[in-house]
Amino acid sequence: MPELYQKLERIVSKNRISNDLYVRHAYSRNVTSNLQGVPDIVIRPKDTQEISEILKIANEENIAVIPRGGGDCEFGGSKPIGDTGIVLDLKSMNKVLNLDTDNLIVTIEAGISWSKLNDYLCHFGLYTGCMGPGSGLTSSVGGGLSHHSVGGGGCAKYGPCTNQLISLEVVLATGEIIETGCQANKYSKLPFNRFGNGPDLAALFCGDNGIYGVKTKVSLQVFPKPEFADYKTFLMPRNSMEISAQMMSEIRQKGIDVYDTMYFMDLIVSIGIQYGMFPMWEHLKRKRGVIFYTVEANSETELKAKVAQLDKIMLSKKAEEFGPEISDGNIAKWHYEEQGHWLIAHNLWGLVPGFDPVDAECHVPINAYPKIMKDLDQWDMEHSEDMQKILEITGMRPITGTGPIILTEGNNVELTCGFTSFPSYYNGEKHENIKEINVKLWKSLLERLVKQGAMFYMFGDILSRHMVDIQGYQKGYYELMRKIKDAIDPKHILSRGKYNFWGTKRK
Amino acid sequence: MSELKHLKKEWKAIMSCMNCGDCGFAIRPVVGRYLTCPVLEAKEEEGFEIYFSRGRMNVLKSILEGQIPLSRELAEWVYQCSECGNCTEVCHMSQNPYIVLPTSNWIDHVKVWEALRKDLVEAGFAPLDRHGDLIEYMNDDNMKNPYGEDKDKKFDWINEFPEIKEKGDLMFFGGCTMPLRQVETLKSMMKILKAAEIEIAMSKDEWCCGSIAIRIGDEKSITEMIEHNIDEFKNKGAKTLFTACAGCYRTWKKDYPELLGYELPFEVKHITEILVELINNNKIPFKEEMERVKVTYHDPCHLGRHMNLYEIPREVLSKIPGIELVEMKRNKNNAWCCGAGGGVKSQFSELALKISQERIKEAVESGAQILTTSCPFCIGNLSDAYEEMDLEIKEKIKVIDIIDLISSKL
Amino acid sequence: MSEVYKKLERVVSKEYLSKDIYLRHAYSRNVDLVLQGVPDIVIRPKDAQEISEILKIANEENIPVIPRGAGICEFGGSKPIGDGGIVLDMKRMNNIINLDEENHIVTVEAGISWGKLNEYLCHFGLYTGCMGPGSGMSASVGGGISHHSVGGGGCAKYGACTNLLISLEVVLPTGEILETGSQANKYSKFPFNRFGNGPDLAGLFCGDNGIYGVKTKVSLQVFPKPEFAEYKTFLMPRKSAETAAQIMTEIRHKGIDVYDAMFIPDVVIAIGSDQGFFPLWENLKRKRGMFFYTIEANSEVELDENVKKLDDMILNKKSEFLGPEIADGNIAKWHYVEKGHWQLYHNLWGMFPSMQALSAECFCPISAFPKILQDVDQWDIEHEVDMRKIFDITKIRPISGSGPVPLVDGNTVEITTGFVSFWRYYNEEIHEVIKETNLKLWKSLLERVIKHGVQWYMMGDFLSRFMVDIGAYSEEFYNLMKSIKKTVDPNMILSRGKFNFWGEK
Repeated sequence: MPELYQKLERIVSKNRISNDLYVRHAYSRNVTSNLQGVPDIVIRPKDTQEISEILKIANEENIAVIPRGGGDCEFGGSKPIGDTGIVLDLKSMNKVLNLDTDNLIVTIEAGISWSKLNDYLCHFGLYTGCMGPGSGLTSSVGGGLSHHSVGGGGCAKYGPCTNQLISLEVVLATGEIIETGCQANKYSKLPFNRFGNGPDLAALFCGDNGIYGVKTKVSLQVFPKPEFADYKTFLMPRNSMEISAQMMSEIRQKGIDVYDTMYFMDLIVSIGIQYGMFPMWEHLKRKRGVIFYTVEANSETELKAKVAQLDKIMLSKKAEEFGPEISDGNIAKWHYEEQGHWLIAHNLWGLVPGFDPVDAECHVPINAYPKIMKDLDQWDMEHSEDMQKILEITGMRPITGTGPIILTEGNNVELTCGFTSFPSYYNGEKHENIKEINVKLWKSLLERLVKQGAMFYMFGDILSRHMVDIQGYQKGYYELMRKIKDAIDPKHILSRGKYNFWGTKRK
Repeated sequence: MSELKHLKKEWKAIMSCMNCGDCGFAIRPVVGRYLTCPVLEAKEEEGFEIYFSRGRMNVLKSILEGQIPLSRELAEWVYQCSECGNCTEVCHMSQNPYIVLPTSNWIDHVKVWEALRKDLVEAGFAPLDRHGDLIEYMNDDNMKNPYGEDKDKKFDWINEFPEIKEKGDLMFFGGCTMPLRQVETLKSMMKILKAAEIEIAMSKDEWCCGSIAIRIGDEKSITEMIEHNIDEFKNKGAKTLFTACAGCYRTWKKDYPELLGYELPFEVKHITEILVELINNNKIPFKEEMERVKVTYHDPCHLGRHMNLYEIPREVLSKIPGIELVEMKRNKNNAWCCGAGGGVKSQFSELALKISQERIKEAVESGAQILTTSCPFCIGNLSDAYEEMDLEIKEKIKVIDIIDLISSKL
Repeated sequence: MSEVYKKLERVVSKEYLSKDIYLRHAYSRNVDLVLQGVPDIVIRPKDAQEISEILKIANEENIPVIPRGAGICEFGGSKPIGDGGIVLDMKRMNNIINLDEENHIVTVEAGISWGKLNEYLCHFGLYTGCMGPGSGMSASVGGGISHHSVGGGGCAKYGACTNLLISLEVVLPTGEILETGSQANKYSKFPFNRFGNGPDLAGLFCGDNGIYGVKTKVSLQVFPKPEFAEYKTFLMPRKSAETAAQIMTEIRHKGIDVYDAMFIPDVVIAIGSDQGFFPLWENLKRKRGMFFYTIEANSEVELDENVKKLDDMILNKKSEFLGPEIADGNIAKWHYVEKGHWQLYHNLWGMFPSMQALSAECFCPISAFPKILQDVDQWDIEHEVDMRKIFDITKIRPISGSGPVPLVDGNTVEITTGFVSFWRYYNEEIHEVIKETNLKLWKSLLERVIKHGVQWYMMGDFLSRFMVDIGAYSEEFYNLMKSIKKTVDPNMILSRGKFNFWGEK
């Protein structure tokens, strides 16, 4: 290890590399307390060239390299799997490199956060449309692309953030640097289009969870932010889950281009009110589910027309409109006007001390989610014994359910489902069995959803391996994924262990 | 391994941190939020996660779980934090009263850092060298101030003001920084009070408030100090104690009752609270101003985020003739720290200066000609940073304590 | 060869397999008369399984396999490069497998044409949004996906047809069959989303020009066809290309979601009118470029609002509105209502007997196209000597220019640039010099356009190799493309020769 460190020190300035025990632990976790992996070394590379050199050394030394954007993976994907490897903290590569104001294309370093990028764009009346993941205040554009992220607003209209991709600069695991799309033609000066010049190789790196390359430079299509928008929140009638699905379906059937549509299940509303998360809904007599929409338009007339179409759908299903203000319960306004879109997923955490949602975020068709949510209730009951064990320690039984259900591209929703649990350190003591139960229940829940045919996008450590272990992958697909991995990262240096790509080190 | 007495009490905060990282990176213009951690930003290329809250919380998780020990080396990281509390603002920031981020119920970062610092001190890994000196001076019976100055020197300035009484309802707590480093500001204060015909009393046996020891985590010598100070003012008949130092204010008003477990026998106020009353009662005879000057106000962390005192200093400023109050891009609860607090100034002075320079640049961007604040510690650090800045900046702006600013308008 | 044939006969039933010389010649050309490759065998496979078996045999025998959708490649991509190989005629696989009405996802066999698919969908009030390539009446969905096709209408709103892709069933060159997107989870019953379950492997096959796999089953997102639409055509002022580019940019900057926006250059109008293609414009005094837009909406108010905005924008640039009917010159109406979108390009061909367009279709930014078209004119002048050689034989000088310039995804346009020339068989004689000159000029033009930094989508035989030959690919990109090719197709069986992937042979 000291030899490796010396090699790396020759490439990276000494301010940008560390093997300090505490620094390493600072990088050992993501958004779940259940998974940890302590790296040997952390580097904050300054540019593409440096990353290329680091990867070449990692190949010589056969040591894993884990790219880390905002570090917001809920499945432990931006930390090592096992206690080893080099974490690349990409956060200092966060500059805006160019804004092509003619063609509305921005080129940035991949470590930039969605919030920083959009702050820059707003001065030009532009935005990214899909605002990245729900963690977009922190999470990086590179990370968003690595997961087809949605959830930070705008994905009903713009789809996942990978839809905006024009061109990508990627460092392959062996150190080669490539640019995709129109940039494959070496005579192209500024990126302008993704699709062409042969196969869409950018796609390899979209949703790859960091296994095929390190994203370093990204060009995105950006959009003029429409001048007009309206946003309304409605209290759902009985059977709110089924009816919310009908509403979303109808919006799609009628082709209304909502910017966002989001449904909160009854449970979230009632527990949230009980725990003081939603003062704006405290006055509600019936604590039922809530749905909201946001729609944008280029003129007032157009906006009104769209709002009328949407209201008709909502009201004909006996939903009750809240007043226009946030204080009236209109969470949609907060979501759109106060950038609540980057915070709305946050308030599931911290409900009680140490509360830790164990997550199974995935995409499913609109018409499938009510049934899947019922099955999760069933799953919860089947696992009562384990849940009880957690209750005995924490005094609170985990709850299974889903956070906001978000309409995404086409007829899909993102289900932010899972169960709420606790960390193994609770009330001054370490309870190893909480962790064991968490991981056991987590795997069981994930398997249940896999078998419902759900599509996952953030796989990280636990899910990427579990999906392979339970043979959830169709064989041909996994084989192709592996073949490509072998071809471009023969030693499985990059994000080693994800999808059980272990190289020769293990297995 | 030490028993982590204090840290364990903060387990709720530590285990409720979800690792979102917004305390390092959030930019949310609609609520005036442009980044958060002054230390992280000042570290630039060296900005590893351990320099801001998320990474630190991760380290603490590992410590609580017994994976890694406390150490001197850890202390070197831990004390590079001005305890400005900006991370807590982000952590709690729905910034709308109708939506609550529940972590706000459990996470108060400064409390966590102070617990950690106490454990480090108790385990013998802290204080760091300069901090050790400060505490030694503070405890030294011949000094009782962290500046290592002779005990009596703090009261030299009073000689000029025979009108200051020894006993009275309204008593001034001078603290250490102003009497030992910024005497002119105290003279300005007396000029204002005299003009307003306000009588004050002082004790010539006040000790350091102990803020420095609390921030550093050395609690053992604190109790004696607190008791001495409280007795001193109680015995002199104080009904109201006021101070011109944001640090003393926070310590008296928040830390003393918390440490003692009971309320103080008198009210504690900041000088701006006294001044605003005087101004509102037309007690301050401002001269007529023809010229208008743009002034921006820097919120001291110990006054703003720690004590929620944002509006009063602004009210004071807005009522001074000839002054136009302009806000910096980051203000009130989003304000950028000057970098001095939490023991950073004494132990890591370069870091403190760098942070202040960032703040001064922000003040220049606001178009202000004067950067004012109401904390001698901020003034000290901002002024030191100012000295090192380019002439170009100095031509655009000056750094003046709010007290001096008012006194110049009399 | 007879052994291969025997092996294949065991897999494919007799009537779908042929090595007849006439039949082989029927499959030896695509949409140009310059490139030819005669296959050894032509097969019309029935399903993925059969294709898988064929590919396994091809690997054993090291014989190339060329998938062919509708065979409309303008660069000779759906025929062998050189004589030999097996052509897979996918046109037999043209069934609709499923329409998920609730989720608006249609699953089709890859050989189905855009025309047939949309005819099916229209009974449900649905359409594909992007209507595929300009040749969509014949061209297959699989072929469209292999080229990121645009040009058949709707691409200003919906982008390239690959944007609609949900899931793909592909047979890899070594015979493995896989499905992508949501179907990578083997428990997923119906395809519903492309992006997830790990890397977007579907992307590998999008725009691959058939080198990585044979597309057999495609699931596409389809859309309710909006009830309201308007379409208007305008005669442009002077500097029509620049003005059209400005209008297109303004449309994007204002975020108006036009369904189509298209510029037809002056030269097309002038020559087209001369040759009698455009009776609708015959009465025009000034034969300048045209601009048209089509916009859709869910309500009349929305439509009116957007139409007003567009009209203001366009009229403000001194364009003249031509009137609502096709007879008034409103080609946009023909394009949208009468499905002219699948025929608009056809009228470049056949202007004179055997006249054919040698095309250099590509994508470039809106702001770049006027300059590129000017440079193509410049190029034309510089090649006067060669043009003359053709003129000497045909008495018509080739013309360089561009067909319609449609707005596509984002701020990109497709320029259907090129020059019109003639077949070497002209007036009852073979003129080898025509073919040579054609090839020489074509390469020269392609190189010229490549150096403008444009992006190609249909690369076929000719362009795919030329791009590599002149070193226009960034080396790293090409290497990655190649290393994937080696991984999935070690013998380089599939579409052998494209991008110079030749294998051992």
